[in-house]
Amino acid sequence: MSASTASTTPTPTPVPRGALTPRLLSSFSGTVGVAIKIALLSLSNAVAVWAAYVLVDRRHWIAVAVLALATAAIDLLYFGRRTLPAKFLLPGTLFMVAFQIVPIVYTVEVAFTNYSIGHITTRAAAIKQIELTSLQPPANGRQYTMAPARDASGQLVLILQDDTTRANFVGTPKGLTPLPAGSVKTNALGIASASGYRIVKGAELFALDATLQTFAVPTSGDKAIRPQTIASAVEMTPTLRYDAKRGVFVRITDGAVFRDDGKGSFVHGKEELEPGWKTGVGFKNFSAILRDPLVRGPFVQIFIWTLVFATSVVLLSFATGLLLAITLDKAGMRFQRLYRSLILIPWAVPGFLSLLVWQGLLNDDFGVVNRLFHLNIPWLFDANWAKVSCIFVSFWLTVPYFFLVSMGALQSIPSELNEAARVDGGGPAQIFRRVTLPLVLVATSPLLIASFAFNFNNFNNIFLLTGGGPTQANQPIAGSTDILISYTYKLAIATGKGQDYGLASAVSIIIFFIVATISAVSFSRTKALENIN
Amino acid sequence: MRAKRTTALLAVIAFAVLAAFAAGTVRAASKATTVTIWADQDRKAAVTTLAQQWATARGVDVNVVVHDFGKIRDDLGTVAAADAPDVIMAAHDWTGQLAANGLVQPLVLSAAAKKQFPAYTLNAFSYGTAIKRLYGVPTQIENIGLVVNTALVKVPKTFAQLESEALTFKHKKAGNLAIAVQQGTNGDAYHMYPFFSGLGGYIFGTNKAGNLDASDIGVASTLLLKNAKLVDKWNKEGLINSKVDSSTAQNAFLKKQAAFWITGPWNSDTLKQSGLKFKIVQMPKIVKASVPFLGVQGFMVTKYANDHGVSALAQDFVTNFMSKAASQAALANVAGRWPANLVAGKSFSDPVLAQFGKASTGGVPMPNIPQMNNVWTDLGQAWVRSTKGAGATKASSSFKAAARSIADKIG
Repeated sequence: MSASTASTTPTPTPVPRGALTPRLLSSFSGTVGVAIKIALLSLSNAVAVWAAYVLVDRRHWIAVAVLALATAAIDLLYFGRRTLPAKFLLPGTLFMVAFQIVPIVYTVEVAFTNYSIGHITTRAAAIKQIELTSLQPPANGRQYTMAPARDASGQLVLILQDDTTRANFVGTPKGLTPLPAGSVKTNALGIASASGYRIVKGAELFALDATLQTFAVPTSGDKAIRPQTIASAVEMTPTLRYDAKRGVFVRITDGAVFRDDGKGSFVHGKEELEPGWKTGVGFKNFSAILRDPLVRGPFVQIFIWTLVFATSVVLLSFATGLLLAITLDKAGMRFQRLYRSLILIPWAVPGFLSLLVWQGLLNDDFGVVNRLFHLNIPWLFDANWAKVSCIFVSFWLTVPYFFLVSMGALQSIPSELNEAARVDGGGPAQIFRRVTLPLVLVATSPLLIASFAFNFNNFNNIFLLTGGGPTQANQPIAGSTDILISYTYKLAIATGKGQDYGLASAVSIIIFFIVATISAVSFSRTKALENIN
Repeated sequence: MRAKRTTALLAVIAFAVLAAFAAGTVRAASKATTVTIWADQDRKAAVTTLAQQWATARGVDVNVVVHDFGKIRDDLGTVAAADAPDVIMAAHDWTGQLAANGLVQPLVLSAAAKKQFPAYTLNAFSYGTAIKRLYGVPTQIENIGLVVNTALVKVPKTFAQLESEALTFKHKKAGNLAIAVQQGTNGDAYHMYPFFSGLGGYIFGTNKAGNLDASDIGVASTLLLKNAKLVDKWNKEGLINSKVDSSTAQNAFLKKQAAFWITGPWNSDTLKQSGLKFKIVQMPKIVKASVPFLGVQGFMVTKYANDHGVSALAQDFVTNFMSKAASQAALANVAGRWPANLVAGKSFSDPVLAQFGKASTGGVPMPNIPQMNNVWTDLGQAWVRSTKGAGATKASSSFKAAARSIADKIG
């Protein structure tokens, strides 16, 4: 299967194998092509119309505008005939915007906010929720079976029956008026009828949801009876009052003032009202990375380990993959296909499954590895051995990839070059070093960089194998095998009240710059390699 | 060519109009008053039956949507309002996070209903830094216990008996475990809690108002540190070992390689089908009672019920209907957990669950404040470090380090 077979075979017919694609392409300009085009465009427009319905229903006006523009652009482009390059560029651009640009913009936006537990809503919604939770049922407060009803003039009132005394009342925003005993009849569902009033039922009742929430029947002081469900009401007393003019909450019992602290909360001394809201905090998250010892402390150590991890996984797997590819490249080898299939197995099994299996195999006391080889190595429980395990398992998962890539690269090397080197008197080692390796590197170096960037952020492998552990004494968050991205994840879920997305986004932006810098430097280096050709 | 293009354009427009009609009908159909409930796969059928009963009486529609239980808490914060549930099934220890995020609505139970619940179940669903409110109606309770294989060992009355029985059994054959309690590399503070409470540790203290106080961390309490040497002893003699993970622990017990297993009611079917002779008890007192964490599950009303205009209906379902003894009994029958409602508990019988129930005496509800997020890993890791066999850290220093780390993170 070496490259020589293809180049020495004579090609008598003028139809090369690759001609299928142009033929397929040309058929698209015929009637069949037009039919396919119409079908695809109809489908895309139909999806757009359906999406517009949903978006309008949910009042996402910006999304509606973007959708309309994108659909118009698609229709104009593909009905027109002149803009051929754009026909290829547009889908790519749309997907790039949807899956690359939008998440990046969102991450950057979040990095400058306090988005975390207790700070996910808007200020207005937070104020509303605080007002709602500040209502307290007073000690021995009355509870009522309730039904909304209309009086003779059609005004909304509440028919109330005290749960303990069974006394009947009618409640209006003005106050509570007793009703004669026996005038209110109840059944299993609550109040069934009240003489002189029409009980509101069915759709009319369900439509009152928002009205009922603000409906209050004042009793004594600032107490009021408020509907809780569609069939019950409770006497409640507010504990906080919102002063809209000053934008502060005042506690009614002691007059304590809860002020907006500019960080998304109403606070009074150390006391804080929940929920808070999501708000911009400028560079606070970035300065926390630099200043907060909790975040900054392990950064350098984790960074070094991330580099070691990514580099050694890529180099070891590339070296092994290349070696295997060269070994199996020999023409006429028996069971060649079998060997190749065997090498590809780690790649064929879903990675997360292999990782969990390896976690079991490497268990120190009960794992197969230690039992089979009569070893007593703490594969996952010792900081250094856990690092070895991480590199080894990732290596095991990556080798098949580099085996495939190297095999392809080897086959693309013209055999004349090897022959010429041999004629010039080069030994196998020399040929490999001077001819094969540089040519393979030309083809694979972008892939090496990509693999490095991938392993630099290889969250799955670390998280599923060791979970970043074992933990280190004196280091609250980062474990011994945490790489930057798994550390970011831990930082996000386990600081403050938890789920600090703002801080995590800031860290991931920094990781992005690290990976981008390393990749840019590496790419400019590989330009030198390309000069060989 | 011109004509062709016009035909094409017409075809596209026709298709789009058709789609518009289709979308329109879908939209019209969803306009009836509907209460949406998120429930897990196991309880979907039971919740649907109950919800239908309620809905028919009230004349509304219900839509029970299956949602992975472990994801309900976090997904509630990110779901689009239009797809959001009005009612969720919830675990009590989510209360703090959900309330702090403003995602759930405070509820009021009637005085009569309140009397039917143990006080701790209602307290477990109550939260508030400045104002404490009830956010959930409890429906089911759960806790872990010490499962004893009575064919292999006697049920221990004291911790010393447990220790000697377990160690004798362990030394009988290579591969035997003394006490099968799950930890693994990532630790498991939940299953280790009976040991932790027995040694005199606690997670958070309470302040004058009776609320959990995140600044009072008892992970390295004086009493715990005084008794920490016991952990070093257990590690040395191999009574507990952090390398045992959940599947190792379960397999060892089922294959009679362990006579003691610490687990909860989620394994009651496994136990019933195992054919083993067993009894479930609370782990004997170490220096204080070795109580387990208590878990309460129940229903909450989300803030989205407001946006959907079904707040009063959703609250009616949760506070008036689900709190009833009959509803709770129906749910307990299928879900393999003891009902929270005391009246329902009296009419409910399940020999295994009843034994787990007895093992809960004096138990502590898992703290429901969001700061608990910071505790699990550190406390679990303290146990892992000190019970990993050879090379283990002294327990007093691991628990001190864990307490410091938790305090740092809570900040």
